[in-house]
Amino acid sequence: MGMDRREFIKSCSLVAMMGLLFGCRKVSLEALAAEPSLGQFEDEVKLAMSLSKKHLDLVRVPMPGMLDIPGASSVNRFGMAIDLDLCNGCGKCILACNVENNVPLVPAEDAGRGRFMHWVEMRGGAPLMCAHCGKAPCERVCPTGAANHTPDGLSAMMYKRCTGSRFCGANCPVQARKFNFNDARKLGLARQFNKEVPLRDKGVMEKCSLCLHRLQDDRLKFKRKVPACPADKGASLVCAA
Amino acid sequence: MTPLLNAFACLLALGCALFLWREKSSPYRNGALLAGFLLLFGVFTYFGAADSLVTDPSLEHYPFRMLALCLCFSTTSLPLYRRRYLVLAQVLWLWIELFGGIALYYRGFDVAWTRIAAIAGLALGSTFLSRISREMEFCLMVLWLAVWVFF
Amino acid sequence: MFRALMIAGLALFLPGACALGYSVFQGPSSWMTDAHTFWGTPISLFVFWIGLAHAGTLLSAVFLALDIRLDRRTALIAELSTLVSLAIAAVFPLMHLGVIENFYMVAPLLDARGNIANVRSPLVWDFCCIAVYAVLSLLFFATHLKARSYPALDMFRKPMAWLLFPLVLWVHTVVSLDFAATFVPEWRGAFFPVYFIAGAIFSGLALVNLLLCTEGYRVRLLERLQLICSWILCAIWIWDYMLKGSFCTSAFVFAGVLPQFRMVSAIRENKWGRVAISLSILLGLFLERQFLVSPEFGSPASSSLGWVDWGLLAFSAGAFVLLFWGIQYSLKRFMEVDGSYFGEVDGSDMAEVEEAELRDSPVVYGVEKSKKGFYVHPWSSEEYYVLRLPLLVGFAVTIAFMFWAIERLPFENVEFSLAHVVPLLYPLIALVAVIVLYARAYFVQKVFALHRLEKIVAAALLVLAGACAGTFYAGGSSEGSADARKSASEFGDLDLVGAAWNARCATCHGTDGKFNEKFVREFYPVPQKLDLQRVDSLGVDSLVNVVLNGRGNMNPYAGRLTYDEARALVNYMRSLAVRDSAVAASAAGKQEVANDSTP
Repeated sequence: MGMDRREFIKSCSLVAMMGLLFGCRKVSLEALAAEPSLGQFEDEVKLAMSLSKKHLDLVRVPMPGMLDIPGASSVNRFGMAIDLDLCNGCGKCILACNVENNVPLVPAEDAGRGRFMHWVEMRGGAPLMCAHCGKAPCERVCPTGAANHTPDGLSAMMYKRCTGSRFCGANCPVQARKFNFNDARKLGLARQFNKEVPLRDKGVMEKCSLCLHRLQDDRLKFKRKVPACPADKGASLVCAA
Repeated sequence: MTPLLNAFACLLALGCALFLWREKSSPYRNGALLAGFLLLFGVFTYFGAADSLVTDPSLEHYPFRMLALCLCFSTTSLPLYRRRYLVLAQVLWLWIELFGGIALYYRGFDVAWTRIAAIAGLALGSTFLSRISREMEFCLMVLWLAVWVFF
Repeated sequence: MFRALMIAGLALFLPGACALGYSVFQGPSSWMTDAHTFWGTPISLFVFWIGLAHAGTLLSAVFLALDIRLDRRTALIAELSTLVSLAIAAVFPLMHLGVIENFYMVAPLLDARGNIANVRSPLVWDFCCIAVYAVLSLLFFATHLKARSYPALDMFRKPMAWLLFPLVLWVHTVVSLDFAATFVPEWRGAFFPVYFIAGAIFSGLALVNLLLCTEGYRVRLLERLQLICSWILCAIWIWDYMLKGSFCTSAFVFAGVLPQFRMVSAIRENKWGRVAISLSILLGLFLERQFLVSPEFGSPASSSLGWVDWGLLAFSAGAFVLLFWGIQYSLKRFMEVDGSYFGEVDGSDMAEVEEAELRDSPVVYGVEKSKKGFYVHPWSSEEYYVLRLPLLVGFAVTIAFMFWAIERLPFENVEFSLAHVVPLLYPLIALVAVIVLYARAYFVQKVFALHRLEKIVAAALLVLAGACAGTFYAGGSSEGSADARKSASEFGDLDLVGAAWNARCATCHGTDGKFNEKFVREFYPVPQKLDLQRVDSLGVDSLVNVVLNGRGNMNPYAGRLTYDEARALVNYMRSLAVRDSAVAASAAGKQEVANDSTP
């Protein structure tokens, strides 16, 4: 050690100063994370299908309910049916759902354990997603009320009201709910394929939304196609006064 | 669980209650008896319910209900502080029924409000007792038996 | 001894604090979770420490209520351990949240926008019960300390004990309902309330026996109860196995088999033997909680405990050591008291002072039962007279709250029944009763006085509580602005309508009709886009209905705006949308021109 004390202090403070300057640089994190390619999403779906469970393990729920909740619409109740006779388990629906709803990729270690964010999963050779239960077990245990039910039968999710307690995920009998363990945007694992659907923050639960955004757009289209009827103010176009 | 086995459970609890809180019994004896009775009631429920134990979740707390009933029966023979522990035993039974019922409600079963109300009424009424004579003891035991069998 | 404890505490606490900081930063992925249950070490630690908190209340409040005499020093140690365990336990539900900033949404208090937590959820019951339990335990402890200088306060200890006795059982029952009210197969159990309470009492007895060993004396009754609890727990575990087929062997060994060694007198009489048994029980029960919360734990399918998991455990243990002995050291002069001792001194150095006192004073070993055979009717006892008015007020307030809350459901379409709110009833009654009790004692009966310092602390706490409540109303609800109260005819003037819009609607919908990004993202999900297409498709009439009756997170304005005013606002909104679409059209036109002009 040829340095005397003064030189040592000088060099230490220089190093400290360089460290501070480096830390103060203005580089946004979002700029660092590149967007993933479509091919990565396709590969992940293939991986998920290879790791999927071969049998359907559902929890027995004694009395799944009808939609007899107060305020239920008498006009609509939406759902989604899958014709299992026609389904050959190819998994294209999973990729389509991921692209439509901007479902993020997961890091490699989660993928290795089979913990994907896909809203639709292959179970026992058939696709399974949220069943939008009438008396949904997830909705009644959400502490903030972020999981709730629309009058026309969708089990909806308010991301901004979610505090991430994961009680809903624990209580789902079909294990259809996914939790955002990672900040997908920061890690470069999310891509906003569809501008109509927001990207979710870290720490919130998500699940099949029955493409609520498409339902809303279709409602709009339906209303515009109906000819204007001056006498009937409720259902159709009304000129603004 | 058939009504016959239900009634037999009540008799079993009554029979077990004879052994608790005897004169000059050590806490070890009482504690071991309580644990042993719980085991016995568990085995009884397991074999009594046959295969419906898995499919009927309302039997999950059956041994504990039996234990609470047994404790209620046993308090009638305490030498000291009988009224206090009588009320406490009934509150224990009420507790098991109420919160067990709420847990089952969240899994789709109706809460047995009449049973809970009956036990609560008995517990509340017991606090007004000033002197527990033998006739009163017998009356209480009959009431508990009735609640168990009919509600 | 004290320094050794502090050093040990710091050695556990500091790495634990690192683990805590890392897990707060990284989020739930940092500790062990499996895809099956989503919860992990923080929740098992939460259940574990809440169970330990019950120990103190059991010994101080429950024994007091049942007239089993315990000397003041042991009771104070028990109460202090309750408070410290509660403080540690409260950290875990907070740090395990995915979005910690939203924690306030769990409290069943109305906020300015009419949002209330979902009172059907067991986590909301948890929040209430534990908050009330903390308040009552703190007051109980403070009363005990102050009773030295104001002996009249002793009269309040027993009524408080009777309030705390059901509350402590209620709290752990609600914690058990977190698990029992779900469809998770491993958490099936209508018997969970009794199971959890038995486990809590068991772990609590182990902790208190451990603390008594460090103080230098022992209470044989508590050791016997500990052994009996181990038998009852074994019976419950066997029932659990019969029901579900799952069995936690490590818990059975540490907390079921090893405590039986107490029957060997060589171990029983040796202080370190007793310490070892207590520690074994605590370890076994922690492993059992871990097994319960993460049932795949221990099987090769799941992940194993990582450094963060062990770090959180170390954090909690270290925090307990530091807080408990730190506070006891600083409060030493309040906790030393003369009088008959309940326990037997065990001959170690710690107990030298007590030995001298024991030799001199007449001493009674074993359990004393006061008023043997003399029965006091519950409804004419002193405790009931003290509690009569507070309980009445508590019942009234709780019933009023129930009726109020039923009106305020977050969404119209939920099924709601008595079973959903029963777990909230007693904590509310107890909280209001205790506030009335102490308010009456301080202001009306003047049983005790507060030092200046205590008054400042009380005032500061009240201000803090007010600030917390204030955050719920931050941003405020909308009030009628002077402009909007004008009659419809005056709304022909667009500027007035614009002023009304800016005053009322712009907070969410923006002054230009596009949503106000900052406000909305913080408090709401995004409202519908109000462009021309949507406004026309929905129609003015239905929009007026939305303004008057509310929709989703939007408050109803029916009491504050007339129909004409609402209609005028909707027309204004449409004009904003028209302007917006005209701007967009011209911008598109310019873009086309620009595109055409590029070669």
